[in-house]
Amino acid sequence: MTALALGALGLTLSLVVPGLLARARWPDRAPAAAVVLWQAITLTAVLCALGVVLAAPEEVVRAAGSGRPVATTALLAALAVAALIVARLLVSLARVSYRSRARRSRHRMLVDLLDRAEQHRELDVDGLRVLDGALPLAYCVPGRSPRVVLSDGALRVLDDVQVAAVLAHEQAHLRHRHDVVTESFTAFHRAVPGPLRSRVPLDAVHLLLEMVADDAARRRCGAGAVRGALERLGDDGTSADRRRRLDRLAAPHARPVVLSAAVAVASAALLVLPTVMLVVPWLDRALDNWPL
Amino acid sequence: MALGDLERDVMSQLWDAPEPLTVRQVHERLSEGRDLAYTTVMTVLDRLAKKGVVLQERADRAYRYAPAQTREEMTAALMLDALSDAPDEATRDAALAHFVGRLGPDALRAALRAADTAVRKRR
Repeated sequence: MTALALGALGLTLSLVVPGLLARARWPDRAPAAAVVLWQAITLTAVLCALGVVLAAPEEVVRAAGSGRPVATTALLAALAVAALIVARLLVSLARVSYRSRARRSRHRMLVDLLDRAEQHRELDVDGLRVLDGALPLAYCVPGRSPRVVLSDGALRVLDDVQVAAVLAHEQAHLRHRHDVVTESFTAFHRAVPGPLRSRVPLDAVHLLLEMVADDAARRRCGAGAVRGALERLGDDGTSADRRRRLDRLAAPHARPVVLSAAVAVASAALLVLPTVMLVVPWLDRALDNWPL
Repeated sequence: MALGDLERDVMSQLWDAPEPLTVRQVHERLSEGRDLAYTTVMTVLDRLAKKGVVLQERADRAYRYAPAQTREEMTAALMLDALSDAPDEATRDAALAHFVGRLGPDALRAALRAADTAVRKRR
């Protein structure tokens, strides 16, 4: 029973819930809280998978009334599979962070060599690098020694307040270590077996982190500046993500205290309740017949 | 002076020079108005060569150094790296954070054109 319930919950969380949450519009009002909810959903789905792997063999063995040798073998096999799942996740995480770090460090080295920021002394920002070139471009290179990169083209199309807004946006990414969040979702995405794999959480979290950074920039420079920068730096008017960011910046901004609190409670409940209601009672029964 | 700044200044000298420079020439150009050891310049050039951004060639018993790419080429290549999807998915999503998503096809074409022109200018 426990295994079935955990399995159903895990499948719901990985196949049904992401689609619903990605279509919902309330996360636009509380993006940071929504990121936490996405993390809770993902983590709970992993815990469910581990729960199924551990509980199912034990439950089958007990229902069939098999003897001790069978129970021992089943337990060892279950532990091995669970360890495999955890190992796969950890390896994926290590690989993603290693590759990102390598690419960033190469990128940082080149951007440092090509830097023209000494021609823009009015922009007094730590780690700012300016690249020659007419292509409007703004991004950041996260890491222990981060860089914010603007192209000459971006400085030309943006006014001073808009430049400040872009810098505030990128610094929010760096300060809140959004790269770590993105990396963990990327790693999870790559560790999931093919048929269950979906880009939905990854893309949703990516957009939410942009909104979090937009809000930081809005607080410092005003919504108008962020909107203006988004309009001038975007290359086509068709991107749905950019539309969503522009729309929410047009609405009056209030700190979503109640909504955020509700989402935080829901996230905690999602993580804790299945464990308390399903896993603990099962563990209680299972330990009575512990075969090792 | 930080090593990073010095590397950048050395690259600037190499990019501005019409031909490969010796350590002594780079040192002369950089030590105007600042106290800079010859060996420091040598170390920096060596480091840049190891990173693959500077080419070292031996001529008349002295090493001469030239940038591996022009400033325009390197800028274009860097922008392309920033804009385009990395070859593997893992680094595509996590490595850099853009202000407005990844570039659309139009801007990417413009970037490619810029890179192309830079390469042709050199030939």
